[in-house]
Amino acid sequence: MIKLNNIQKVYRTDTIETLALNGINLEIAEGEFLSIMGPSGCGKSTLLNIMGLLDEPSKGDISIAGQTTDRFNDKQLAKFRNQKLGFIFQSYHLIGDLQVIDNVELPLLYRDTTAKERRRLATEALEKVGLSNRLKHFPKQLSGGQRQRVAIARAIVGNPQIILADEPTGNLDSAMGNEIMEILLQLNRNDGTTIVMVTHDENMAQKTHSLVRLFDGSQVQ
Amino acid sequence: MIKHLFKLIWNKKKQNFLLITEILVSFMVIFAVFTLVVNYYQHYKQPMGFESDRVWVINYQSDVNIKDKDSLDVYYKTILGNIKAMPQVQEASFASSNVPFSANTHMNNVDYKKTHVNRVNYYTAGDTYDKVLGMKVTEGRWFGKQDDAATVRPMIINRTLRQQLFGSGKALGEKVGDDNSNKMVIIGVVEDVKAKGDYQEGGFAMYKRIDTSSNDGRGRILVKVNTNADAAFESRLYKLMASNANNSGIEIEHLTDKRKTINSTTLIPMIILLIVACFLIINVALGLFGVLWYNINKRKGEIGLRRAIGASGNSVSWQLVTESMILATLSLIIGAFFAVQFPLLNVFDLPASVYLVAILLSVIFIYLLVLVCSLYPGKQASAILPAVALHEE
Repeated sequence: MIKLNNIQKVYRTDTIETLALNGINLEIAEGEFLSIMGPSGCGKSTLLNIMGLLDEPSKGDISIAGQTTDRFNDKQLAKFRNQKLGFIFQSYHLIGDLQVIDNVELPLLYRDTTAKERRRLATEALEKVGLSNRLKHFPKQLSGGQRQRVAIARAIVGNPQIILADEPTGNLDSAMGNEIMEILLQLNRNDGTTIVMVTHDENMAQKTHSLVRLFDGSQVQ
Repeated sequence: MIKHLFKLIWNKKKQNFLLITEILVSFMVIFAVFTLVVNYYQHYKQPMGFESDRVWVINYQSDVNIKDKDSLDVYYKTILGNIKAMPQVQEASFASSNVPFSANTHMNNVDYKKTHVNRVNYYTAGDTYDKVLGMKVTEGRWFGKQDDAATVRPMIINRTLRQQLFGSGKALGEKVGDDNSNKMVIIGVVEDVKAKGDYQEGGFAMYKRIDTSSNDGRGRILVKVNTNADAAFESRLYKLMASNANNSGIEIEHLTDKRKTINSTTLIPMIILLIVACFLIINVALGLFGVLWYNINKRKGEIGLRRAIGASGNSVSWQLVTESMILATLSLIIGAFFAVQFPLLNVFDLPASVYLVAILLSVIFIYLLVLVCSLYPGKQASAILPAVALHEE
């Protein structure tokens, strides 16, 4: 599903050159749940951003769902992200001025769907994460776990093949973290969604199919 | 997407209140400026109704002490005859002090049956006044010898007053009254004359014939001169007047110079208002630009998120520009509501078309201003890298 070939990422300033990723080779199968672990600053999020086409590698090739993306223009990349990928972030990234239902509808706004269809899909996604009774709430009226569930609903509303989760339980206590992890596992199990998750939590990582460890931008496991 | 943006703006109404107010105030100021400009332009487009080229105005003291009316008549006819006899003079006429482009205004009211018209400019004019100024008589005739024996004082009115008093009905021969209940009979209708300059309307006007045996209603002589009338001729004319009128209050002015002066007097307040408006617009533009720029920096996380879930750089840019335009629309709806009251309530007695054109121009201007101010921040927003924006948040 995702194939990374000799990925290198270098951040350059006028005086410093930082090697964030160095020769990453990775192949993630369809339906796989992969964890990425490593100390802070080792390049986990950079790797996830590259997989999510939010950042470009300095060197190397990426292939997602059978498509090489290095020649995509901005519009093609946006369309690809919208249709194939779902994102979950540690800090949820919900829009505070929009109700829960409107936050979940967001990815569908960039598709050719009717308002009625958007509302139906968003409601279904919220039902999946157990928040069908919070449609009209604003994010600030929700707990951290509920916010992350809204973020998951937003990630799955467009029925993507791949979900990229950047420390989805990082801001939550263990009970809520487990709840979120359970939802992700169910998505993977029931819907066959490929999930790549960056985490610091060894217990969470153990629940996934496979684990990649990074250190100083290199793959060590 | 538009509905989504409306919702987003509505949910942020407190934050957007100041911006909406700022655009609203700008709209009202621009509306005032455009009202003035459109009003002036509409007047400017109207024909002058007379020719001011090579028309000179002789100011003199009309207080000659001749008691006998016939002698006074002869006295004035002699002065006019001497002026007309000069080879450079084409035509000359006595006039009251409110000659075209002067600061003097004589107002009266006119009644006809149940119609009462206020603020009618009245001019006292000689028999050749129309020829000196090249005025166009559209109905009837100008004053002449035949009016010497008139039992009812003759009067000439302009087209606008004719329309107001009689509509499409007959005007000639009709009797009208003034403030003093003097009855006058209409003998002619002339085209409107823009006597207060290119940018002022002609308004209502009526012309009364100068009483040749009285000092009243005099004070000016209008002289149409040939192309060869030069400074030397002006000097001779001055000497002639000084010797004939036997007083020292003589001054000769050119209508073309008076026209420039009165136009400047009209335009200067508008120019000052335009300068003030320009400063305000610059302030508003900078304010808008700053607020939008600030919003983009504040909303980097949201921009990053939108990019991640499927928005292209252009659609982010479009979204921000559209948001600004929606805010402008909300301001303009409120502004237009207030602006429309001006024609509805007939404020300042201007035609409704002036206000409507001014509203339209102001709306276009505000939209353009907001568009220009939001394009660059929108462009900057589209250049934000999603990974960086999400990381910063």
